[in-house]
Amino acid sequence: MNTVVEERPTTGRHAPVMDPAIAPSFPVAALPILQDTQLRKNVAHATDVIQSKRNHLVAEKKDWQELRNSASAMRAHVLANLGKYLEQFEANCTAAGGTVHWARDAAEARAVILNILREEKAAEVIKIKAMTSAEIQLNPALETAGIAAIETDLAELILQLGEDEPSHIVVPALHVNRRQVREIFAQRMGLSELSDDPKALTTAARSYLRSKFLSVPTAISGANFLIAESGSVAIVESEGNGRMCLTLPQTLITLAGIEKVLPRFTDLEVMLQVLARSATGERMNPYTSLWSGITPGDGPQRFHVVLLDNGRSEILARKVERQTLQCIRCAACLNACPVYRQTGGHAYGSPYAGPIGAILTPQLQHMRHAQSLPYASSLCAACYEVCPVKINIPEVLIELRAQVTDQQRTRVREWLDPMFLGMKAANFAFGSAWRFRLAQRFGRIALRGFTGEDGWIHKLPSLGAKWTQSRDLRGLPQQTFREWWATRDRSAGKEAK
Amino acid sequence: MNVSPRQRILDRVCAATRADSNDYAGLPRSYIRAGALDQAGRLRLMTERLREYGAEVVASSPADLPSLVAHRLLESGRQHFAAPPGLPAEWLSRSLSWKVDNNLSHEEIEHCGGVVTAASAGIADSGTIVLHHGPLEGRRVITLLPDFHLCILRAAQIVETLPEYFACFPQAPRLATYISGPSATADIEMTRINGVHGPRFLSVIIVRDSPTSAEIQSSTNEAVRHDAI
Repeated sequence: MNTVVEERPTTGRHAPVMDPAIAPSFPVAALPILQDTQLRKNVAHATDVIQSKRNHLVAEKKDWQELRNSASAMRAHVLANLGKYLEQFEANCTAAGGTVHWARDAAEARAVILNILREEKAAEVIKIKAMTSAEIQLNPALETAGIAAIETDLAELILQLGEDEPSHIVVPALHVNRRQVREIFAQRMGLSELSDDPKALTTAARSYLRSKFLSVPTAISGANFLIAESGSVAIVESEGNGRMCLTLPQTLITLAGIEKVLPRFTDLEVMLQVLARSATGERMNPYTSLWSGITPGDGPQRFHVVLLDNGRSEILARKVERQTLQCIRCAACLNACPVYRQTGGHAYGSPYAGPIGAILTPQLQHMRHAQSLPYASSLCAACYEVCPVKINIPEVLIELRAQVTDQQRTRVREWLDPMFLGMKAANFAFGSAWRFRLAQRFGRIALRGFTGEDGWIHKLPSLGAKWTQSRDLRGLPQQTFREWWATRDRSAGKEAK
Repeated sequence: MNVSPRQRILDRVCAATRADSNDYAGLPRSYIRAGALDQAGRLRLMTERLREYGAEVVASSPADLPSLVAHRLLESGRQHFAAPPGLPAEWLSRSLSWKVDNNLSHEEIEHCGGVVTAASAGIADSGTIVLHHGPLEGRRVITLLPDFHLCILRAAQIVETLPEYFACFPQAPRLATYISGPSATADIEMTRINGVHGPRFLSVIIVRDSPTSAEIQSSTNEAVRHDAI
């Protein structure tokens, strides 16, 4: 029997699982990625470039810390008064001609959007990159409903055509290089002569999407900010695909997390200054669009906003974790993270990668999935330092680790886990001085067989292998400090004087 | 009883924040609001920033503006131009073909090679041009589909900092577009490429307010060397 293998223009890897409910744990997902040198090179290059641009522009801003303080306080204020601002936004957006919908979870949001699209008899939709869309896994739902979703952000288009998944919040295709993009475009757009020059590739995307912009009557967007006092929505972008989607279609659906509100229009004076600098290392992104409801004769004449909860109100109720919702999705923490910079985004098994993903994803999953993510960090706090809204990510990571550990404690099957048993044993040994001394003596004898002539342990069995597979361990010394202290020559020190 | 998703979400949000109160007026705002530059300095900075983005910038006196507009448009190599309905007639050079936007179709606008508009404000610090889409700036679509955008900015409209812009316009306009250089992407290997979907070419004419003011004249000449055109 002949099997016809269809040539797929992918980036040469299996599409990673980005649904946190079924994705493998972080260490499992990270392992093959760490062996993909091309991907690591691509990620390192992109994060280096953004970081250096960001650092340069932050250094030139004399009031950077004051801006951060304001941005942080403002986002915290919004969260503390979220109900009031959401109702204000709803009233003002409705008065301006928009329709506001509320969705408690991903399924409800998908249903609301599909209903609108059915009423519009939409066969195709053009989309602006939206984290919320990936969060509720909208594209597969659209596909099932027979609606073609066309991603219009260049990076999202590369991934959609390459059947790949985003690996960064701001630059989703940073793990793909120009040759890989060329392969994807050449095959999927039928352009065999295409060169791998980024300019040629961008031009190809421009002409590929132009007819879509001019013909598809329905668009879906996310939102960077919702303005409570005016019912406006703000979208921050670079390419102009956002403006196309916000201007040309007859119907626009905006899917926004409930935490996206700002009290006043003038609050953008803080947010726009910190966002572009942190996200792309620019003083201002090329295009920011702001609109309120419907404007007769200009832009879509039907406008829907879907306000998405999906676990956010739960996060809001928690003291330490609430700050997670201050996030403005600039991805500066991804670029700064020593873990993300090695693995890229796919290892996180969620559209939200990096440090913010490590705290947001498990919480959006009600701590029932993605429990390995809070451990995907060295707690170095580089993320906290660059965060424009001062989310103390390490603090939240530690809080979530405690919750994961508490979960494990209550599960009987975890009691046979070597790590659990090891911790129990350590707890017992460290509980009294004599037990500790005994454990030291026992350890010295037990480890002798594993210690090389150079005094280092290179390989341990079982649980210890988790340490020695990536680093060596110094063998235990023949004498502990206490033993030495007790037997030391007391006169030696005095004589030396 | 069937509680609506709206009520359910609001109930949860309010329950989560019941104990919190926090005053909007008390939010810390010790960042820099007002700039330190005089008008000449603002013009110089605006020009510099726009050029960093790859935009063309020239300065003009009010008297020279119509001929300079015509010149820039001819130089762009394009024939057909769109214009918002409120644009002064003297800016529309008779040697070129014009479509004034009284509800033009997308196809008609797409066929225009360029567009000429005024602006609502300029922000020097970030080189941002602000459109509030009034009669002189037109509908959003006319500054989106044509490949070339010539924008005319009055010197008095240029502020130095973003907070200064918001101080001038404390109420949200119905529509606004903030343009900081031509459409761009860095999605492929972080290489900045201008012109993905919006206009690929942005050209700005800054109109000096009082051509009699020698001070502005000299400093702008120094900063903006395109006056020779």
